[in-house]
Amino acid sequence: MTDLTPITALGGTVARTEVFGALTTTENADLGLASLSLRAGQEVPQPFGLMLPGVGKAVSMGDYAAFWTGRGQWMIEAAGKAEVDFAAMLKSEVPECSVTEQTDGFTAFEIASTQGARPIEALMAKLVNIDPKAFGPGQATRTGLEHMTVFLIRRAEDRLAVIGMRTLAGSLWHALAVAARRLED
Amino acid sequence: MLIPHPLLGLRDSQEFTYLGDANLMHRPDATAENAEAQFCDYVFQRENPAGVHRELWFHEQGDRSWLVVTRDTTTHEILGAELASNVKLGAAE
Amino acid sequence: MTRLTGGLIDRNAPLNFTFNGKAYKGFQGDTLASALLGNGVQLMGRSFKYHRPRGVVAAGSEEPNAMVELRTGARQEPNTRATVAELFDGLTARSQNHIGPLHRDFLAVNDLLSPFFAAGFYYKTFMWPKAFWEKLYEPMIRKAAGLGSLSMLPDPDDYDKGFLHCDLLIVGAGAAGLAAALTAGRAGADVILADEDFALGGRLMSESDALDGANAMDWVASAKAELESLPNVRIMTRTTVFGVYDHGIFGAVERVSDHLAVPGDKVRQTLWRITAKRTVLAAGATERHIPFADNDRPGVMLAGAMRAYANRWAVSPVKRDGDAIAIFTNGDDGHRTAMDLIARGAKVLGVIDAREAAPRFGDYEVFAGSTVTGTKGRLGLTSIEVTRNGRSEWHSVGALGVAGGWNPNVHLASHHRGRPVWNDDLLAFVPSPDGPKGLIPAGAAAGKGGTAEALTDGMKAAITALSEIGVAASEIALPKAENMPSEQAAFWHVPGTKRAWVDFQNDVTVKDIALAHKENMKPVEHLKRWTTLGMATDQGKTSNISALAVMAELTGKSIPETGTTIFRPPYTGVSLAVLGGGDTGPLFRPRRLTPTHHWAEAQGAAFVEVGQWMRAQYFPRTGETTWRQTVDREVLAVRSGVGLCDVTTLGKVDVQGADAGEFLNRMYSNMMGALKVGMVRYGLMLREDGHAYDDGTCAQMAEDHYVVTTTTANAGLVYRQMEFAHQCLWPELDVQLISTTDAWAQIAVVGPKSRELLTRIVDGFDLSNEAFPFMACSELTICNGLRARLFRISFSGELAYEIAVPARYGHALMQRLMEQGADLGATPYGTEALAVLRIEKGHAAGAELNGQTTAQMLGLGKMVSAKKDSIGAVMSRREGMAAEKRRLVGFKPLEAQTQVMAGSHLFTQGEAQTMTSDQGWVTSSCYSPHLESYIALGFLKNGAERMGEVLIAANPLEGKELKVEVVSAHFVDPEGGRLRD
Repeated sequence: MTDLTPITALGGTVARTEVFGALTTTENADLGLASLSLRAGQEVPQPFGLMLPGVGKAVSMGDYAAFWTGRGQWMIEAAGKAEVDFAAMLKSEVPECSVTEQTDGFTAFEIASTQGARPIEALMAKLVNIDPKAFGPGQATRTGLEHMTVFLIRRAEDRLAVIGMRTLAGSLWHALAVAARRLED
Repeated sequence: MLIPHPLLGLRDSQEFTYLGDANLMHRPDATAENAEAQFCDYVFQRENPAGVHRELWFHEQGDRSWLVVTRDTTTHEILGAELASNVKLGAAE
Repeated sequence: MTRLTGGLIDRNAPLNFTFNGKAYKGFQGDTLASALLGNGVQLMGRSFKYHRPRGVVAAGSEEPNAMVELRTGARQEPNTRATVAELFDGLTARSQNHIGPLHRDFLAVNDLLSPFFAAGFYYKTFMWPKAFWEKLYEPMIRKAAGLGSLSMLPDPDDYDKGFLHCDLLIVGAGAAGLAAALTAGRAGADVILADEDFALGGRLMSESDALDGANAMDWVASAKAELESLPNVRIMTRTTVFGVYDHGIFGAVERVSDHLAVPGDKVRQTLWRITAKRTVLAAGATERHIPFADNDRPGVMLAGAMRAYANRWAVSPVKRDGDAIAIFTNGDDGHRTAMDLIARGAKVLGVIDAREAAPRFGDYEVFAGSTVTGTKGRLGLTSIEVTRNGRSEWHSVGALGVAGGWNPNVHLASHHRGRPVWNDDLLAFVPSPDGPKGLIPAGAAAGKGGTAEALTDGMKAAITALSEIGVAASEIALPKAENMPSEQAAFWHVPGTKRAWVDFQNDVTVKDIALAHKENMKPVEHLKRWTTLGMATDQGKTSNISALAVMAELTGKSIPETGTTIFRPPYTGVSLAVLGGGDTGPLFRPRRLTPTHHWAEAQGAAFVEVGQWMRAQYFPRTGETTWRQTVDREVLAVRSGVGLCDVTTLGKVDVQGADAGEFLNRMYSNMMGALKVGMVRYGLMLREDGHAYDDGTCAQMAEDHYVVTTTTANAGLVYRQMEFAHQCLWPELDVQLISTTDAWAQIAVVGPKSRELLTRIVDGFDLSNEAFPFMACSELTICNGLRARLFRISFSGELAYEIAVPARYGHALMQRLMEQGADLGATPYGTEALAVLRIEKGHAAGAELNGQTTAQMLGLGKMVSAKKDSIGAVMSRREGMAAEKRRLVGFKPLEAQTQVMAGSHLFTQGEAQTMTSDQGWVTSSCYSPHLESYIALGFLKNGAERMGEVLIAANPLEGKELKVEVVSAHFVDPEGGRLRD
């Protein structure tokens, strides 16, 4: 184990979490990420037993999850695997695929509602031009949010993940926080 | 505008970056005898029609696919959208 | 007080407000206009050009006259229509466009000079003498123009934006809109019902019509309650749908807290982008007036507005109770106003009806076949002249309602250039059948203004709209209503010799239109610009059709032959603040922070914006008083010891696949496929037109795996270009691309002691020159097991490395390097020192790779391989490009301490400085602490052969020039020994 101490995308030593009325936003600093791309002519593999999802979808199984990011391309999520070489783990699962380490390429903000879907959908309406009614649990997409590019994953009716570029973490948190705070009024 | 993405359905055009004439996909053969003249046409000559136009859009804030979108430039009506790689591979067959 | 009984105001909620400093009282539910009228205030402003005294004309957003300034301090807001400003307790309002008190405007002198201000005045007068424009005319016009004034203070309020999606957007919540909403809501469709008003009901609030035999507002209340109970219906009041955009996208502004004294925690306004599958345009209609002599006095208003003030706000528009009101009409609608006024106890002189066969619907006098031909009353109407068959008589009145017919609000239907169509029965333009796709006009907006027909039409429009998107909706039980009589005559204006206003706000009269006609400005577009008709803040809502009718009469053509005006967004004014959105200042755009940002901040670094990035510019130390001192120190520290710089901002693209090498061969002008695993190569990308595009490095991590770097500025563009090449040009290649820019914190470790420093943190990795030579790369671990990537590349000409670790460790790695390198003089440096180091080494950067230069010019001609095709290769060999003789060289001023200005042009000594004698230009310049002299880079004709020549570097913008000597661009270690040792 290295003797260097990491910081989170927001620059803290611990992950940030903040409550805005019905919504709680948490920096998910422990999430391991790696991208998986099929090479020419390859069959879709099943890393960690995951059935890789189709266009615009996300799946999860235990500590692992995957969402579609483009043709023949997925992002694989591994809870609690930020500190290990998750890309290497994935590569050993799918040695024939192109795998790229992405854990620190992104910052994941997990938004949970205590009042069901409504606050999540109201928040989405303030941030992204995606129809929340057509973006139910199991949906994943990439879109623009305040001039930033983000992945959105509807983990459940009352849970939304916003995954943005790590270097933009501060601006993304600001955008999410301002929008969530305004919903409190 | 809304771009009818062949995989993702209607998407806000703001997610896309516009390039232009889809003929940019037909890059000339560099070994051809008149390659330079062909490249000059390729790089500099555009039809720029008032009407139906096949053009390239990049879903930069999306799945990063390049699309060939057929659009009427006078009405903004979109008549179709295909994945550029499919168009290219299809043309090669 | 001129309040009547009834109305939709809350008499238990009185509100205090001031107008021009005088205190008044109104009620909850009032607008500023209704409250002022309720206090007997008719005079509300001055016209734009002639500064004529003006009162309120309308009761809605079409108001041309009653423009006021609201609030004080930073929230001062000019050009607000009193008719849509909701009254709140403590509101302060002021009239505008006058000097001195409103009732004695100094600029009213303009009215006496009106012969000089006729149509085309601006074009005719301000054209000569030419010299007067800048010094006299423009400042004068600017001072007089713009109506209200700005506070010149920053807006203290927050603005928001959002996105909504629905099956059916209904614009307008009057009879048609409510019927459509109930129909669609019950069918389970996702509905947005938007109205600019603060209450639902539209015109139903302003009429006395009964629905189901009861007060229409009872039905509105029950409809509202039902719609609010439906989870699939969103009601948006105070929301103006201002524009139609492509494919069912609408712009709307919700005035969230305009009706509050201070927004508090709320945002002021929200800009909504609504994506609707279908739309019902139920925006109602706008009444037009009938121009006649002196028709612009306060007290003369639209008859429908008068009815609205009486019915909705319980206000009689006269100054004193007991003053009589007259109506001037060309149709039945004017009679309705008389009836309603009588029913509410106002004194009505009678109805002056231009038609010989004028009807009578109640107990009031009818002046059939008569017109109004004059008015009196300096600051408010006192009497009118009624003329029949050339015989005139004067009547005392306190107000006059004018009913010229109703124009459907076709605006949104014409936003896609759909031309409204003339309807001879309605004497009005109705929405074009070629309007925006999916938008169905209904009710008064479609020319179906009777209450019964509007209700039915709204319901039918919703059913049709939903059936088009596969939602079945059923007819609903509509309340029983009547269509009031609406016969009218095509009577457009009262001829006469005195001025008769058509456009109140911009002071355009019938005479102006006649003059425009005489001067051959007949097409509507010319008429508009020549006279400024319809170009005021109201965009001619009440005046365009009257003007068209007058022009038609003059040309002897029909109205549709004369033309029509179509409308562009916005329907009503939209504040720039809400379009600008919420975040301002440092939050204006997203900021990318490097992994060592917080560390650099703690060191007191100065930062510079580089695109979205914030980069450390330099790291001042105590005692350093200028940035140059700091940068000089940093540069010298790098060249003598070891320097550290965060270079994470360079773009990084991970390229994998069986054909990755071949793909890169085609992207880069030089050979990349023949690289070896564990080695890095400098790469040059061209644009397809043959010019230099970007440079970077290409590191081969495995047979089928490369990591490519780009310049910071082009990171996104090169990644996009690579995707283009992959998907659009060569999809048959087995290549996978993905950006990893953010994933890795990359720190440049630079200087003669860089190897020693790195040796102290690697986990036993052999850094010797033999094991890890110049341009080597490897994966390794550092600091007891942290995975890292090491590249031996140099931008400065020194022995140098770039080390990459997962971004979360960048901060700690920088700290560790500083600790471990303390005895080696480890020094952090920023972008300024980075630039000095690369200029000293003669490396091209953004100033040289500016899209206008070629590989030859950069001295990189040999990097364009002739053995293969790559993007831009063919074009780079074009005759003109190949003959390019300018070369990148260095310059040293003869006076070492004199700065060479980048952008200076180079000339041979003693020659005239002209375009033809131009020898080249300076691209980059800095002070080199290493050489203790200013130095520069630039492009020079035949540069390679002119070493030692002394040239003039001319800066004609500042009238400066200096002598520079041509030298090699490699000021430091030209043989390149240092970086290879």
